[in-house]
Amino acid sequence: MAKVETPQIEYPLVTRAGVILAAALTLWGVVEYFGFESSYQQEYRDPYLIGAQSAKFGTFRETVAPNAVLGYLTDAEPGSVASDAMFLAAQYALAPRLLEKRTDSLQILGNFIRPADFAAVGRQHNLSLERDFGNGVVLYRSESH
Amino acid sequence: MAGLFAVLLAVVLGCALVSRFANLTNLQPRWAAALVIFGAGAGVGIGLTSILFLLVLLLIPGLPGLALWVEIGALGWISYDLSRRRSSAPTAQPPGSLPGNLALMAALALALSLVIGAISGSWDANPQGNWDAWAIWNLRARFLAAGGSLAPRAWSPLLTSTHPEYPLLTSAFVARTWTYSHSMSAAVPIALSCLFFLALVSLATGGVAAWRSRSLGLLLGLSLVATSTLAHAVTDQYADIPVAFYFAGALVMTLLERPALAGLLAGLAAWTKDEGLLFAVIFLAAAAVFKRPQLPRLLAGVAVGGSAVVFFKAILARGTASLLSSSRPALAQHLSEPARYHQVFNAMGSGFINMASGWYHPILPALVLAIALRFEIQRRRDVLFCSLVAMLLLVGYFFVYIVTPNDLTWQLQTSLSRLYLQFWPVLLLAIWTALRAPESTAIIQVQVSKSRKKTKS
Repeated sequence: MAKVETPQIEYPLVTRAGVILAAALTLWGVVEYFGFESSYQQEYRDPYLIGAQSAKFGTFRETVAPNAVLGYLTDAEPGSVASDAMFLAAQYALAPRLLEKRTDSLQILGNFIRPADFAAVGRQHNLSLERDFGNGVVLYRSESH
Repeated sequence: MAGLFAVLLAVVLGCALVSRFANLTNLQPRWAAALVIFGAGAGVGIGLTSILFLLVLLLIPGLPGLALWVEIGALGWISYDLSRRRSSAPTAQPPGSLPGNLALMAALALALSLVIGAISGSWDANPQGNWDAWAIWNLRARFLAAGGSLAPRAWSPLLTSTHPEYPLLTSAFVARTWTYSHSMSAAVPIALSCLFFLALVSLATGGVAAWRSRSLGLLLGLSLVATSTLAHAVTDQYADIPVAFYFAGALVMTLLERPALAGLLAGLAAWTKDEGLLFAVIFLAAAAVFKRPQLPRLLAGVAVGGSAVVFFKAILARGTASLLSSSRPALAQHLSEPARYHQVFNAMGSGFINMASGWYHPILPALVLAIALRFEIQRRRDVLFCSLVAMLLLVGYFFVYIVTPNDLTWQLQTSLSRLYLQFWPVLLLAIWTALRAPESTAIIQVQVSKSRKKTKS
């Protein structure tokens, strides 16, 4: 005959309930997030059209040297979100070329929302139109240089 | 694909480094050790290779690929060295596991699968990430990847809307990977953002499982995965998830008594974002109070990322306006305006409430566990250390808003939610250090029974 000691480990109900409830809550949170993220990505699909920038500026990139520091001219309302988005998206697409919001550089990127007589727009800023790439993308040259 | 291999190389190198030098392989249980090695390794590998890439770019601009050979050589040497070493004796195991731990593991795996599934929707819808990703972080990566004389454009003062003074960890790592793979694939910043999220969950889960309790570690992992603002930020491709990882990593490694690695992660936080500089200072101050024996090695670890960021700010990006320098002229006026305090306080309260996703708020699991398990005071210095870091970080963020030179309303609207997600893992860690482990509530009953001893005839 021998004595067999079998330790039995039990956890208080409040511990088990707390752990189960906490885990269940996190899974609920994940399901909530899943629903939110799916609808968010459908609703806000590339809102600043960044994906389209490489095609928009493709030929411009081939024309202008990578080390260029370009001026910048636009018809977007200064200080607006659209204006900032256009400028920064163009900077992203054209890097490592640098953009500066000024029109007295040797070369100037024209980045327009609306169709216009871009040569006439350039003349107002003492710029000559060097090339129109379409889609509102224009290369100017400063006449003062 | 080549870009993803280059990302993997950095992770494997980091895992080899932390396995070799931080003695993490002897943590128990083994799955927790594996999670800690992956989490810490990913962060260390990404951070150190970003510094190496920038260093080679600056010293030998014509040979940016040289850093790749240094990485491969280092990986080969460490792998050989690891294969020769015998693993040391495992450290003491945390108390026995809760019967439901397998279910918690399954829940964590399910939660992670759902979250990554949700995040993957953005890979198609917004592969370039959100505003700051293409306006700041990945734009600067494009300059760095151009190499030669064009790389310094990443900190050119002409980048007025792009914060040329921001530290370069994520940008330099993306540039490194683009350079090695000869392609500017959007998959690289996407992978980087996901990797930091996984590393954060992995390191927090494994670290707490090894340090305190398996179930607490798994519950912390679940709570992090279920924080919707944290998961959503992965799709943004900003530097907030990486910096949140480094904050949490530094704390976890301090608790695991790996001070050099903890310091390294805190220094890399400073190399990731300006908020990381604030964190590094707070972290060292709290360690000086509660973790004084670890301080020399913490400082040595911080020096790696710290010297990179000091060199960058003082030498490379000198002359670019920082938040500190631009807030100086109106500092006294802003500090003495009660309306600003009121506005920031209200916004921070709303920001906390706005972390909810539907009816779920990520503080709920912590509240339930606090009620069910209650707190214990055995690890008072650890609890005070983590709580002090969390509190000072929140106070620091509060005063950054008070002194900001930008329009306060705009600043709060555009950044507060991101500061909360950086702070969130730190807060949860502070709570988790104080929670009583479920295993410690066990009631052990010994049943004594008599049985016939069987003998072979």
